[in-house]
Amino acid sequence: MVPFMSEISLTVNGTKRTVKVDDDMPLVWVLRDTLALTGTKFGCGMGVCGSCTILEKGKAIRSCQISASQAKGRDFMTIEGLSKDASHPCQRAWLEEDVAQCGFCQPGMILTACGLLREHPDPTDAEIDAAMSDSVCRCGTYPRMRKAIRLAATALRTQKKP
Amino acid sequence: MITSRRAFLKTAALGGASLVVAFDGKRLLGAEKKEATGQFKPNGWVRVGADGTVTLTIGKSEMGQGVRTSLAMILAEELEADWSRIKLVQASPGPEFKRLGTGGSFSLGGSWKTLRQAGAAAREMLITAAAARWKVDRATCAAIKSEVVHTASKRRFKYSELVADAAKLPVPADPPLKKASDFHLIGKPTKQIDGRNIVTGAARYGIDTKIPKMLYASIERAPWRGAKPKSSQDAKALAIHGVRLVPCSNGIAVVGETTWAALKARAALAVEWELPPPKETFDSEAHIKQLDEASDQKGFVTRKDEAPASTRPVVRTIYANYLYPFYTHAPVETMNCVADVQADRCIIWTPTQAPNSLQEEVAKFLGLAPEKVEVNVTLIGGGFGRRLAVDYALEAAEVSRAIKAPVQVLWTRTDDMRHGHFQAASAHRLSAGFDSTDTLVAWRHTKAGSPHNLKLPDAAAVRDAGYYQDLSWGVYDIPYVVPSIETAYVTVDLPVRHGPWRAVFAPSSVFAREAFIDEVAHARGIDPLGFRLELLTGPDTVKAGSLTIDRRRLRRVLEVAREKSGWGTAVAARHGRGVACNVYDGETHIAYVVDVAVDDAGKVRVERVVAAVDCGLVVNPTGVEQQVEGGIIWGISSALLGEITFRGGVAQQATYADYGVARMRDTPAIEVHIVPSEAAQPFGMGEPPVPPFAPALVNAIFAATGKRIRRLPIRPGDLKL
Repeated sequence: MVPFMSEISLTVNGTKRTVKVDDDMPLVWVLRDTLALTGTKFGCGMGVCGSCTILEKGKAIRSCQISASQAKGRDFMTIEGLSKDASHPCQRAWLEEDVAQCGFCQPGMILTACGLLREHPDPTDAEIDAAMSDSVCRCGTYPRMRKAIRLAATALRTQKKP
Repeated sequence: MITSRRAFLKTAALGGASLVVAFDGKRLLGAEKKEATGQFKPNGWVRVGADGTVTLTIGKSEMGQGVRTSLAMILAEELEADWSRIKLVQASPGPEFKRLGTGGSFSLGGSWKTLRQAGAAAREMLITAAAARWKVDRATCAAIKSEVVHTASKRRFKYSELVADAAKLPVPADPPLKKASDFHLIGKPTKQIDGRNIVTGAARYGIDTKIPKMLYASIERAPWRGAKPKSSQDAKALAIHGVRLVPCSNGIAVVGETTWAALKARAALAVEWELPPPKETFDSEAHIKQLDEASDQKGFVTRKDEAPASTRPVVRTIYANYLYPFYTHAPVETMNCVADVQADRCIIWTPTQAPNSLQEEVAKFLGLAPEKVEVNVTLIGGGFGRRLAVDYALEAAEVSRAIKAPVQVLWTRTDDMRHGHFQAASAHRLSAGFDSTDTLVAWRHTKAGSPHNLKLPDAAAVRDAGYYQDLSWGVYDIPYVVPSIETAYVTVDLPVRHGPWRAVFAPSSVFAREAFIDEVAHARGIDPLGFRLELLTGPDTVKAGSLTIDRRRLRRVLEVAREKSGWGTAVAARHGRGVACNVYDGETHIAYVVDVAVDDAGKVRVERVVAAVDCGLVVNPTGVEQQVEGGIIWGISSALLGEITFRGGVAQQATYADYGVARMRDTPAIEVHIVPSEAAQPFGMGEPPVPPFAPALVNAIFAATGKRIRRLPIRPGDLKL
């Protein structure tokens, strides 16, 4: 196996970054090890826990399932890019409902919720369950997460009105 | 071996302190060596800077149970600090922090007095300093929001202005503590202090540690403990840029310049392992059968209440056997540790529940004095007892020593599922004897299980009643009034690594006891909640081993759960309501009423859980609610979803895909009712919500279907129409 390293340019949180990494390095490690953006968490590396979720054009995606070469030229947002001051409606709702316990899965959960609310601005319980149930919180913060998603949905809808 | 959980944890209580370490997640440079000018530091817990910063030390590891918030609340309450402007630092082992350790839901109860005194001592000194400056009687001064006020003249000093004077005063040994009626922080719903860092991605867990020149390692693990590689094909792995292979105690460490290089090279390795020794070809199904048979033996008697002479003889007996499987912790942050072994010292950054034993074990392994090992405790992405073991830190130290560079050892999800220390399986044999009036007069409960084996057994440990009682919480401390009670414990050898899990030894015992009590109520044709209350009359307290069980408090939580849940009202077909209760370690009292629906395919849906909790004096009601919610979700995972099985010595599960854990879709409506308590001190909440959940659930399933579940996890096949 001859390693193949490339210079790859991608946009992260609005800034163009060029990294020299193995083509097959999953984006989660590009973000964490190469760009030191550790808000994106590693939980399984197999797409079953949701900890590494980031946004691309507002859609929630798993950064462990995208290789560096596939990420080339694309534009991503991590939890660090959502807002630095916790001012995004999802972050505010998460704080208001005091969702987190250990907090490890929460960046992925918040971005998964952002993706849900973009698609379903006023989600039903079934839509919330469907979007969030691919992610794992071992502390069991789901009841508060559900409330926070509703709160964020209301805030986002209000925000969008002129 | 942690032979006595009580002994182990109660010695892990907090000592005094003067060594304070900055917690910035990047570089935690040990003790702050320079004595900051103009700082007031009466003890290790409290520091006031001349700039007005109030810094509080947290001596317990934060893993989601909320200690960084609740312990800070206790300190800030007595210190009268402005809550909006405090800073936290995390304690590291050192001369004054000799017994750090987090477990057994003992953080609040164990820290309560120490932290109050630490905060109060500082407050009193600041008041004395202010009174001296004003030349007034100190009794005319009061502290509030990081200021001292002279009540009559309304003159004020900020704490920052008093730092130099207060630092010169003697530290009072026994300062007056605030009256509970004067608390303004304690008892108030308070948001988790790290919330903002968590939602912005700024919170740093062990896995997020980055230090200069750090390399990354993943260990190709022997499938059986102690197995050695017979041969390995290394070429493909070594072809990856910068990769090195380092043989180590637990396998072959694959070291790379990035995590990915290490993981990819590990996948490219082809290792053939030596055949396992026969006892490592462990099979969980055979083991559970062995436990089941063993539960029929006499065992070591952990409690024996002889029936009074007036008791009528037993004329009818019912029996049941309950089986409890293996589980794993499966925290989302896998095990990890950064170690930097240098010529004469070692620096560790890791998510650990056991900083001092980690320091000692790493020091012993490296042949260093303990003080040469600096341990920086990071935030923990889920602990649940797993991180009381220090195996992953020893691995990092071993690899760092070998490569002479700082290294992060990171476990993959599959490593974590297969090589953890498991919650051990157990079997329970119960019987209930009735007299001629159908009154319950005899209770027998034998647990067959295995003591933890994380360390070699201590030959000197006394295998007395206390030892076996620790292994059978929830068995010997049955709170009910029965004339004749006999409980026992049978030890069954277990070769796989197993240790503490959330609620330690209680979940299996409480599952069996509370489900069987339901069977007894059913056998007598009476309401199971009313029956429990009936069994809790008589003396208000009862001694069981070292514990005092308070039946009044348990009655009260049952009554609240009954009232709030609408117990006794009608439910639809294939729906049912179940109850269970428990006193955790003689301290926290919880009752649950669970509503379930079981569909025709046998799939169980938990619809609602009503919880009533008496955890003593409540420090943070929000934290209490969060722990109950989390404990219920944990209970749903273990009752309805994942179990670990072993074939040929190897755990069969590898990811969250085959070791199921609860998701959003499994989440019921949860109501938490905090019952006012007479207790003057707080008790833990991390673990107590777990044990009574599974029995309340199986009791609800019985109500819905008429089928009695006696083995976890519940499978849809058990309940299919």
